[in-house]
Amino acid sequence: MPANQYEILALTLRYWFVLLIVYIFVRSFLATWRRLISRNYLYNESTGNIPFILVLFALSSMILLALGDNINLLIIVLGVLISAAFLFQYLFISYFFAGVDKYLLLMVDTLCIVGFVMLQRLNPDLAFRQVEWFLMGSIIMLFFIIYTKYFKHWARLNYLLMAIGCGLLLLTLIIGKEVGGARNWITIGKYNVQPSEFVKIILVFVLSAELKQPKSRIKRLPVFIFMALVILMVVLQKDLGAAFLYFCLFVSLYYIATSDLLITCCTTLLASLGAVISYFLFGHVRVRIAAWRNPWADIENKGYQIAQSLIAIASGGWVGLGLGLGSPHVIPASRTDFIFAAICEEMGILVGIALIGLYMLIMLRGISTALAAREPGDSLLAMGAAVSLAIQSFTIIGGVVKFIPLTGVTMPFVSYGGSSMLVSFGLIGIIEAIASKNYDAIQGGIEQQSDDMGDDYGED
Amino acid sequence: MIWVMIMEKIKRNTIGVLILLVGLYVALIVYFCYAVLFYGNRWFSDSYNTRVKMDARQPQIIPGDILDRNGEKLAWTEKKTVRNPDTGKKEDYYTRVYYSKASSVAHVVGFHNSEYGRMGVEAFHIYYLMGYNNSLIERIYQKAFLPQERGNDVVLTVDRRLQEYVSGLIREKKKKGSVVLLNPKTGEILAMVSYPTFDPNNISKVEGDSLVNRTTQGLFPPGSIFKIITTAAAFDNIEDVQQIKFNCQGDVTIGGQTVRCYRGNAHGEVDIRQAFNVSCNTFFARLGVEIGWKKLLATGKRFGFNDDFLFDDIKVTPSSLPLNYRVDDLELAWSAIGQGKVLVTPLHMAMLAASIGNDGIMMEPKLVYQVIGRNKNVQKQLQPEVYKKAISHENASILKKMMETVVLEGTGRNAQSKKVRIAGKTGTAERGSVNSDNSNLAWFIGFAPAADPTLAIAVLIEDVGQGKTGGSEAAPLARKVIEKAVELGY
Repeated sequence: MPANQYEILALTLRYWFVLLIVYIFVRSFLATWRRLISRNYLYNESTGNIPFILVLFALSSMILLALGDNINLLIIVLGVLISAAFLFQYLFISYFFAGVDKYLLLMVDTLCIVGFVMLQRLNPDLAFRQVEWFLMGSIIMLFFIIYTKYFKHWARLNYLLMAIGCGLLLLTLIIGKEVGGARNWITIGKYNVQPSEFVKIILVFVLSAELKQPKSRIKRLPVFIFMALVILMVVLQKDLGAAFLYFCLFVSLYYIATSDLLITCCTTLLASLGAVISYFLFGHVRVRIAAWRNPWADIENKGYQIAQSLIAIASGGWVGLGLGLGSPHVIPASRTDFIFAAICEEMGILVGIALIGLYMLIMLRGISTALAAREPGDSLLAMGAAVSLAIQSFTIIGGVVKFIPLTGVTMPFVSYGGSSMLVSFGLIGIIEAIASKNYDAIQGGIEQQSDDMGDDYGED
Repeated sequence: MIWVMIMEKIKRNTIGVLILLVGLYVALIVYFCYAVLFYGNRWFSDSYNTRVKMDARQPQIIPGDILDRNGEKLAWTEKKTVRNPDTGKKEDYYTRVYYSKASSVAHVVGFHNSEYGRMGVEAFHIYYLMGYNNSLIERIYQKAFLPQERGNDVVLTVDRRLQEYVSGLIREKKKKGSVVLLNPKTGEILAMVSYPTFDPNNISKVEGDSLVNRTTQGLFPPGSIFKIITTAAAFDNIEDVQQIKFNCQGDVTIGGQTVRCYRGNAHGEVDIRQAFNVSCNTFFARLGVEIGWKKLLATGKRFGFNDDFLFDDIKVTPSSLPLNYRVDDLELAWSAIGQGKVLVTPLHMAMLAASIGNDGIMMEPKLVYQVIGRNKNVQKQLQPEVYKKAISHENASILKKMMETVVLEGTGRNAQSKKVRIAGKTGTAERGSVNSDNSNLAWFIGFAPAADPTLAIAVLIEDVGQGKTGGSEAAPLARKVIEKAVELGY
């Protein structure tokens, strides 16, 4: 296909892609809005034609990318594979687990598919690998649904989990490998693993188990010490994004569970103080802040990443330059941290805003599940998962668009990366499990439930 | 049932956290849209954006021409054929060409060069030049049916004849300097010259700081021309300002340091009109202290100080008036006479003069007259926009009269012209160390004809020698430029 024909096609189709993604966002938004304002928790909401739209998006974008000088059938096959994998995952989960949040699943899959398309555009090898991670992530999600839903005594594993979390981070500190300024990777076989991602999911379980029962502040000392240790270790790894995330997760869950404003405020003050001290203590923090305040001042070095990201976003405009017509390779780390800028460049700022909106809706649906939960532990679990996804996506997108200083965390479901994909799906698994549990509770009546609870809380 | 109570509490707190998180996301989306709307064009036109670079061998899009307001070509793209020394084959390549006397408009037009990047209109209006504003249908038509996709032509508001004339005048002076001439009613920039200059056809031979566009990027202390703002602040905030009289003895001690009039001349008992006329430093230093930093800063802000200057057509470095609660009386006194840490660009000072001439309304400076598409259709036409309403109509006409008097009988007598009645204000600013005389800046800003101005001007000559002032150096040059512009019918 001659170059100018491809250009014409890509220029025209960008409106089509924007339309599809914005349509999915608007439908999800309306459904979430209905759920939030209704007094009763809504189950079995109709998802209408969203799966169809999503398949349409995956196929049309992959077909466009397949049209180069000659048609690359492999890419079309990948498109079909993605559509099949997504449909299978979606139908399987919603068939076997009654009451799961289908919209949540669809929004997550939308993010994944946008990520596949962009990765295929940037680096076809990575797109294939990302689909593998997607399938493995789906299995992890299944595991976490079953684990959270049926394994009732996960609170007993708490100290074991704490030990594993500390051990993982300590291991990273010792044998960790430095990538992009942060020493937060370890190599196992041929895979590079980011333990700080996995600690996130451990934290969600540990915190909700520790905080669900009312206790005095003294008795909560172990969890305080554990949190301080964990945050200190990621700070030492220079993984500021993870430190910020752990902190937000802890503070929000602690406040929700205990309403203890004194400790919440003290911790926040302490953390702010720590942030100020680290600004004066560590050079890399100062560099980040300087690059955030004015990336154009030192565009050749410190500001390069953010300036290139902003240039890419502005070049795309509202509907983008067209898939395959931009030059997203100029953006540093365009496949991982800065994939949002690459998406904005080629698919448009409107798609970018829709993606931010989808993250917000994922958070809202997670929280609405938490609100409908019957037990404090379940509520905290769902809340923890929702907050950690929300904070992570806020941190990276905010960094890429220069809203907040940049910290290197991945964009959940979209950035290339196995650890991130598995953990993000694990967190979605937790939310889906609680949603399914809520549904069962409504079906089974409330009496049964309250008897169970009586046992759990008898001791206090 | 303790767990019911716990659940109630958890739900209540969860809703609190939910509101907080939604707030974060809404702030992110709002900021994102705001940043893209207001700064997007600036990010896009940054010279580090390699997406819009013209490829010399196989350009996707050829940039359009740049013309002056009379349709004279200033820059265009040429296709050349050369023999490749390696392969011996003839090859086509595209290059930007600038007209023969391009150095007089070099800072306005800038350059687009594969090695040295982009500057000026070539950088800031690359969006039009490369045809990114074309509709989808237009772009598809060009891609499908025309041999080569081409951008749009940009017609500037500057006049090539004026640019050349002004450029020649400064070159005669053999000093660094800048001149901005604009239309106070519409904000159109008629001439904008920065010297030393360079030849855009030959960028490899650029010397020193000649690439810097002093009119928009150079920050200089304004000196006495800042007294216009101090006066405006006094009229706004002090009721009986016309009755205030100070006895000028050539110097005044404020906060332990002495502020002197030029050469220590004592002006005797003066009111604000006389002080303005003779540019009495002691009077305005005391007046500044009387006004106070808050009110002086407020007036400065209404004239555009400390603003980001997010103009559609031109990138201008913000002028700074760093007044805050920590500023002592001495610093305030220096600021009131345009010394201290006050810094301005010549373009901003031309806008200041224009706003007085235009009854207190400051127009946004405009550089793009038209954008013309490939089939000669006008895609964008200049639309004058009000930038700020600086002062009231009455105070503007008082200031207008005062500036007229400065040229008639005050420090600006050298700007008097037989052809047109000019009003203005001179300034002699000290840059860097106060003691060295050679680093003086000579300023003149003004407008003409005084009754109903159609021209506003700012002239800055740098590093004038000892004994030279704004009145002796800058004012005559301003007169010549204005006479030439009137001759050309502006």
